[in-house]
Amino acid sequence: MNKIVAMAAKDIHILFRDKLGFFFTIFFPLMMAIFFGAMFAGLSRGPASIPIALVDADRTAGSARFVGRLEAAGGLAIERIPGDQALEQVRRGQTAVLVTLRPGFGAALDNPFVATPEVEMSVDPTQFAAAGMVRGVLLEAAGAELQAFMSDPSRMSVTNEQNRRLIEEFSPPSEARDDLLNVLDQIPRIPVLIDEAGLGSVTTGATGGFGPPLEIEQTQVQAQRRGPTNSYATSFAQAMLWTLIGGSVSFSMSIAIERSRGTLMRLLVAPITARQLLAAKGLACLGATLFTSSALITLGITVFDVTPTSYPLLALALLCGSICFCGIMMVLSVIGRTEQAAAGVGWGIALPFTMLGGGMVPLFLMPEWMQTLGNISPMKWTLMAYEGAIWRGFTLSEMLLPCAVLVAIGVVAFSIGATRLRWDTG
Amino acid sequence: MLVFDHVSKCFGDLRAVDDLSFELEAGEVFGLLGPNGAGKTTAINMAVGLLEPDEGVVRFADEAFDRNPRDAENRRSLGLAPQSIALYEQISGADNLRFFGRLHGLRGTDLEERVAACLDFADLTDVGKKVVSKYSGGMQRRLNLAVAIIHDPELVLLDEPTVGVDPQSRNAIFERVEQLRDGGKQVVYTTHYMEEAQRLCDRVAIIDHGRLMALDTVPALIAAHGGPGNLEVRTGDGESRHETTDPLATLAELQSRQAVDHFQYLPPDLETVFLNLTGRALRD
Repeated sequence: MNKIVAMAAKDIHILFRDKLGFFFTIFFPLMMAIFFGAMFAGLSRGPASIPIALVDADRTAGSARFVGRLEAAGGLAIERIPGDQALEQVRRGQTAVLVTLRPGFGAALDNPFVATPEVEMSVDPTQFAAAGMVRGVLLEAAGAELQAFMSDPSRMSVTNEQNRRLIEEFSPPSEARDDLLNVLDQIPRIPVLIDEAGLGSVTTGATGGFGPPLEIEQTQVQAQRRGPTNSYATSFAQAMLWTLIGGSVSFSMSIAIERSRGTLMRLLVAPITARQLLAAKGLACLGATLFTSSALITLGITVFDVTPTSYPLLALALLCGSICFCGIMMVLSVIGRTEQAAAGVGWGIALPFTMLGGGMVPLFLMPEWMQTLGNISPMKWTLMAYEGAIWRGFTLSEMLLPCAVLVAIGVVAFSIGATRLRWDTG
Repeated sequence: MLVFDHVSKCFGDLRAVDDLSFELEAGEVFGLLGPNGAGKTTAINMAVGLLEPDEGVVRFADEAFDRNPRDAENRRSLGLAPQSIALYEQISGADNLRFFGRLHGLRGTDLEERVAACLDFADLTDVGKKVVSKYSGGMQRRLNLAVAIIHDPELVLLDEPTVGVDPQSRNAIFERVEQLRDGGKQVVYTTHYMEEAQRLCDRVAIIDHGRLMALDTVPALIAAHGGPGNLEVRTGDGESRHETTDPLATLAELQSRQAVDHFQYLPPDLETVFLNLTGRALRD
């Protein structure tokens, strides 16, 4: 037993002597706990609202009432902007969903026996989770509208009178006409009958016997395409991001390996300057990440029918993404001095940034401050640049922001890493 | 010529090299002999420009002017075989040589000739195309040495080149060091094995705690600091040990008193030099 205790004590002692191991054992899980805790429970104001654009193409009292109900429900940050502009925002990834209340929405809302209110949801293909939640809020609001209607005999009477006039104008065969008028006569009695049967608590909030209270047509927003569109367009953009992350972590390990095996010393003794050595490392990383991400999208194009909206902009996005991650590689390589440490640090940094950048968890789930913090995540900008070139149909001017951010992060990170490496190696 | 002129280097409170001065002579194998932690590797790192001295100057004294080894261009004239096996294991021995040759500016046929010569020097011509990870420890050591001379430098620095190798491979490395000397190279050879210094080095600098304790040829060091040798004899009364500077005279005197069945003379060596200079054994 003493031997077992001695060996266990030795392993624990070594664990706590290894600062990086200690960090990943204690502080990294703690960081994750705080991260997810902040995200799901909300440290300040709770999860942020889902940003949606809303176009009221109906412009009636009924549609206005429905919008008011949506705003009061919470969970949605509604922006009222013109339709074309709203669609552009969704395409650029600035808004998750565009909700359009179609003409006739208000009339259908006020007369659920004749028509179902229709809504069109134009969704960012990467925001299906957000779209699902928006759909829920819409249905809930429509259900509440229907319930309010059913609970208000005066509204039902008005609607009944309208429908009676319609039936009279339509002049159906006498037998059908009698049946329809009979049904209309019974409708105002539905709340009374529900109460009498003791079903009030069961039907509260439900839509009674009327089917879905809202007809929702959902479409994906993508740029005008030359070829077929499919889900691989979004998945390949994410895969290319992971290629960059993997490549930068691997390259940071390669510098650590050179250091531990002694070849770095041999390189530093050669008649080359530290600047040349760093340039070579950067060039190798740039070449490798550029090659792997290009190979991946080439596979997507040739095998999976992914059709980029702009090849020149795709090339620009690939270059800027690689520049950014080469810089990150240089920083990782000076933080992790051994290969294990470099790998640990690499993934330890990459995962939170990927989460903050929306690469793992939908951004709308995070509190606003965390979404703001996500703007420093290179993953967010890389994904935006890749998606912009592949399916969002970014113009050159739209592409400039993510590309400029990526290049800036890359240059700053490379400078920090290079300075530190030169200092480390004398 | 490599010159250390009152060079010191500290790491925090530790004075790793303390006022070290020496100057290499043409075509010699110069030994830096000392126990682990004596400051040998720090001195080597300063010689190749990886570290900057805190005090003093390290330079290549040219006929016309002094050159600083921290200037990348000046490093063309030196080759380093680090203590660890600093090779790319995933590529072949020949490709390792080619890569480092290119870094030193070799191209085309010049490069290929040097690669072939270095493979031959390391006795690896037959396995030059094999990846280094398939080499034995001794082969990797020889290649580690060969890479240091791919660009035919004037000065070769070998930092404990026999660490962890078997006796046969050690002999092979000795032969290569002797080849380098015969080829007119200056060699700096660090070791904590006095047998190696004694066999290979024309002059030896004994250092301890970063300080130069003595510097001379091996015979001169032994003469100056080795003290008397030891004559071990076995007689009918048992075994005894006698310090002497004239073993024949001592043996004759012992035999005049009693028949000697067996004797062995242990002359002073660098181990005893180190012991006499520092008061402790080289391997302490």
